[in-house]
Amino acid sequence: MPVEVQEPAIEELTVTDKPWIVIVWNDPVNLMSYVVFVLQKLFGYSRKKATRLMRQVHEEGKAIVSDGPVEKCEADVARLHAHGLWATMEHPS
Amino acid sequence: MARWKRFRAGRGDTLTVSLAEEELGLLRALPEQLRDVFEEPEDDPARARLFPRAYLDPTAETEEAEWQALVGPSLLRERLDALQLITVTLERAELVGDWWQIDLSPDEVQAWLGVLNDTRLVLGTRLGVTEDERVLDPADPDAGAYALYQWLTWVQGDLVEELL
Repeated sequence: MPVEVQEPAIEELTVTDKPWIVIVWNDPVNLMSYVVFVLQKLFGYSRKKATRLMRQVHEEGKAIVSDGPVEKCEADVARLHAHGLWATMEHPS
Repeated sequence: MARWKRFRAGRGDTLTVSLAEEELGLLRALPEQLRDVFEEPEDDPARARLFPRAYLDPTAETEEAEWQALVGPSLLRERLDALQLITVTLERAELVGDWWQIDLSPDEVQAWLGVLNDTRLVLGTRLGVTEDERVLDPADPDAGAYALYQWLTWVQGDLVEELL
């Protein structure tokens, strides 16, 4: 007997699985070298990657520095705030 | 002759910092100033710069309040610990030749970095600092605070260069 299989709700899954993102915003006080130092220290990024992100913050006003589940992003934002960087998190819709 | 450096590698994994007497005095005044900022109301711009919100979405008030309740106390505690640590190191300063010198452990270095940066964030917020350098008339009421801001920028820049 054929079993009626419910189509997976792809759209819903996508929304649920989509990671949160953590953004660092440009500010006039934090030194460029300090931002590179903090990104390397907190996320283990290479000097090259941390420098690229810092430049993006400086030139474009913001950069996504990490992503993941909401709890991870909340923790990342807390670490960035502890180091004086201006960071927020959001869920791209 | 070696170039004078404010921070240089010391024994083991320490960094040795060299300060003039007036500079030692400036640094000793920072912890109390920052403690005062921590006690400001939450809408004080300088306090808000040190403890910003996490959720960009202004309607995410429940999430924001839960996050603040979860991490707020430890973020404040860490900052208070850093103030305590820098205070202890400044009490150890020894006069070597013309300079007051202090050997800093890696944890102490991180405390210095945090206090220098937090003070710059507070001064920068209060002074409305932009990315362009200002030239202030010595009679300007902000001149002293801006000079301190610039000096802290110089010291912090030297420290980060040593750590990178």
